[in-house]
Amino acid sequence: MENQRSLSVPILRVPQGRMAMWMLIAGELMIFGGLIACYVLYRLRFPEWADQAVHTNTLIGAINTIVLLTSSFTVVKAHEAANKLDIGKVTLWLSASIGGGLLFLVFKSIEYSTEIGHGFTFASPTLQTSGDTIGSLFWSFYFFLTGLHGLHVIVGMIIMFLALLNARKGQKLYRVELAGMYWHMVDLIWIFLFPLLYIAK
Amino acid sequence: MNIFPENVSTYGQGIDQLFWLILVFAGTAFFISLFILLYPLYKNHHSRVKRASYITGEKKSQFFLVAVAMCILALSDFIILFAEHDTWETIESLPKVKDVEYIVIGRQWNWAFTYPGPDGKLGTSDDVVIDAPDSELHVPLNKNAFFHLKAKDVVHSFFVINTRLKQDCVPGRTITRWINFTKQGKYDISCAEICGVGHTRMRNFIVVESQEKYNHYIDSLYKQHSAVAGN
Amino acid sequence: MSNTVHSQSFLRKYIFSTDHKTIGAQYTITGLVMAALGGFLAYVFRYNLAFPGDAIPLFGELTASQYNTFITCHGMIMVFWVGMPILVAGLGNFLIPIMIGTDDMAFPKLNMMSYWIFLFSAIVLVISFFVPGGAFGGGWTLYPPLSANGYLNPNPSFFKALFYGNSLMIISVALEFTSLLMGGINFIVTTINRRAPGMTPWRIPLAVWMINIATVIFMFSVGPLIAGAFMLLFDIVLGSGFFDPSRGGDPILFQHLFWFFGHPEVYVLLLPALGVLGEIFPVFARKPLFAYKIIVYLTIVAAILSVVVWAHHQFIAGIDPRMATFFSVATILISIPFSGIFLAFMATLWGGKIRIELPMIWALGFIGLFLVGGFTGLFLGSNAFDIYAHDTYFIVAHFHYTLFPSIFFGFFAAFYYWFPKFTGKELNKTLGYIHFWGTFIFFNFVFFPLFFNGLGGQHRRIFNYGMFDSINIEPYITFEKIATISAICLISIQIVFIFNFIMSWMSGKKAARNPWQANTLEWLAGSPPPHGNFDNIPTVYRGPYEYSAPETDADYLPQNVQP
Repeated sequence: MENQRSLSVPILRVPQGRMAMWMLIAGELMIFGGLIACYVLYRLRFPEWADQAVHTNTLIGAINTIVLLTSSFTVVKAHEAANKLDIGKVTLWLSASIGGGLLFLVFKSIEYSTEIGHGFTFASPTLQTSGDTIGSLFWSFYFFLTGLHGLHVIVGMIIMFLALLNARKGQKLYRVELAGMYWHMVDLIWIFLFPLLYIAK
Repeated sequence: MNIFPENVSTYGQGIDQLFWLILVFAGTAFFISLFILLYPLYKNHHSRVKRASYITGEKKSQFFLVAVAMCILALSDFIILFAEHDTWETIESLPKVKDVEYIVIGRQWNWAFTYPGPDGKLGTSDDVVIDAPDSELHVPLNKNAFFHLKAKDVVHSFFVINTRLKQDCVPGRTITRWINFTKQGKYDISCAEICGVGHTRMRNFIVVESQEKYNHYIDSLYKQHSAVAGN
Repeated sequence: MSNTVHSQSFLRKYIFSTDHKTIGAQYTITGLVMAALGGFLAYVFRYNLAFPGDAIPLFGELTASQYNTFITCHGMIMVFWVGMPILVAGLGNFLIPIMIGTDDMAFPKLNMMSYWIFLFSAIVLVISFFVPGGAFGGGWTLYPPLSANGYLNPNPSFFKALFYGNSLMIISVALEFTSLLMGGINFIVTTINRRAPGMTPWRIPLAVWMINIATVIFMFSVGPLIAGAFMLLFDIVLGSGFFDPSRGGDPILFQHLFWFFGHPEVYVLLLPALGVLGEIFPVFARKPLFAYKIIVYLTIVAAILSVVVWAHHQFIAGIDPRMATFFSVATILISIPFSGIFLAFMATLWGGKIRIELPMIWALGFIGLFLVGGFTGLFLGSNAFDIYAHDTYFIVAHFHYTLFPSIFFGFFAAFYYWFPKFTGKELNKTLGYIHFWGTFIFFNFVFFPLFFNGLGGQHRRIFNYGMFDSINIEPYITFEKIATISAICLISIQIVFIFNFIMSWMSGKKAARNPWQANTLEWLAGSPPPHGNFDNIPTVYRGPYEYSAPETDADYLPQNVQP
């Protein structure tokens, strides 16, 4: 069958893995897009959510932004190295990116634990701070958006880890690029979430 | 044969007429389309034709007829849109004069009615609430009756078949619609949005009566209410 | 993998197969089994509507809550577990690789995985019938708060709530979307990347175009609903308040998310069926498809418009009247490309040399019925009339006149057309005609009377009209009975189809390679096509619709014939 495959020459000559990854990213962006649109609509309707947004930790959010941007940079370096077939560098830069993801999750969990400690939970019907039940929905959105994003961080790390395993054996180096594309998407979503959840107060 | 139930509101006629107008357009278009579809089955049956003609339809001259048909359809669509716009506006916007008003709350599984109390205002402590299955909402004839529609638990839909009015009642919102009844009688209020097991028996009545009878009813309602409140 | 595919074990060949045809068959058969379930539910609640209170043969007494469950699951099943697998996943798997001239999908293993996730989603849905409280019964549109906390116990524990009928339904829908997203990625990548040499975009058969456009619409519109489905699930199992007005949420938001997907979904089901028509009409009229390129352009326009018409499902849901006017205009605009597409199909027949065969008669029946559905759409698209007709039997009849032709007539047209190819056997024609006329006539008898019930004011999803004296009258009672008896006949006549299917497959006459003298590449492959489809990947020299072309005496010119 392999020789048959080679007969069906791709007309556009775009690697099909890359094409599929673009579509996966498009699909993911629609999920996040829908969710962010809902959040923005609610936010416009309830200006009092700003009182809740005050309690998000902008500092950790900013650090996490830098962490993710850096790990995006390292994944670009990994892709460059993969193009040059430099296995050692690929391993190094990919590990750095996975480390970035890990660091992000560590900061995120510190943030979560302090917030939950203050009584801001996913489904907090009443809040001690203002007694305003309307505002609790902000935290539902906050935890849903960041939680879903965190899940994508984990998935991105797994993908990068699998690409790393392959790359160390010198196999399927194109996977480094695919993992990088996915990681860029994770980064891009965070770039939207950060101002919406942390800066707009 | 009358395909619509009796109309008892000022604007219901508009909806019925709209139906016939659209039926003329849609019916004509339907039968023309059916002809276009079926005629070649006879005319171009393989027993009558030696060889099909090679028409790709890509040339402008070939597609012209289809384009014209599309334009005609679009035009009739817009005629319908303009024809119905007044009716839509009438029903969805409120008239300037408000004669009587009520709060109607959909709940599982009946409609609850609130009459303004003796002060004539809704939302005050002397409001009279009737919340029971099979209960009646009394409305005076030929008056603009405003209904502030709410829902207590899930989405309901306020549907008075004989007036053609239907409006969803959404928890957390108050939507105001109006009816001006043109005929006395007792009409069903049903719920047109599935609202749980009891959806099938969610029904109350609107009783339309003359102003005198209505005043009489309201008075007795107030007396009853104050007697209950007094106890 | 090697060329010696015949040595595969049974399990590998028929169950865990990566062959696109086997997976297509798996989708189709799963869809047909689910259709039988959906049909049975329809039989039960239709019987109850005609003869309220009677014990139902093969079922027994029906309660109001079961009735709600059955109408909900009927809708869910018919759209998501019949229409989607049969028309999009099934046809897409059967047709895309073989029509563009390749051996298999771009990602065969992903393809297999999407089927198994799909099957799992169907199983989850069926399981939901047996959990305490039964399957969800609040309408297939899943409107909260009824689908969230208004449904059962308001404050359930997490695991208890996870196994409620509504949670399981949301989970199964989410799983199905995942499966179809994976399948969709596969379809598009395959179509873009794996075409045979010479298969330029304007040489791709319309069916492949249509399935791909449908997939793109699906992938674009489904994202927000996936987010919305999870928000709803969290409302149920974690007690958040995304759609709970007492906590600041808004139930209308879910309606927007639902219909943002829900309306394009109608086109997702329609387009593959139109693609099938695009294959069948030229073959049986021996004439090129009229305005093939323009049809594709019009479809793309319609696809773009399809995501801005959703709120016409919510004219009376309390949205802003000005917004309603916008959506009314958009709805009218979208009818223009579709009228062009249908007119182009009909124009294909003019000047042709028409053979009436089984696939052709199903295709004609499709258009005939869909015209009724399309033109009754004019009534509902006009927002003033929609105030009255919304949520009545008028709307039920209308969308059955659009969806039934798309799903079933589209499928049966495809079935009778490609059966000889994919099984290598011929179908029994007489049984085929009995099946067609039975389905066509009884379908009309089921749903045409319901238009009048709707105009008479009968609202939907009512277990028993006994309480409504003003609408529980003649002729509506008789119409309900006609509809029910015809529905039973409509379902029974499908036994002819199943019988024909199985008998012809087992012991039908051997079919020729190209029984309809068609141009597209699938007829070049063997019947049935082996794993890998073609002996050699063909080269394509022309468009798919060169019938009665001037350069040859024959009335067809296959795509792969060298000029």
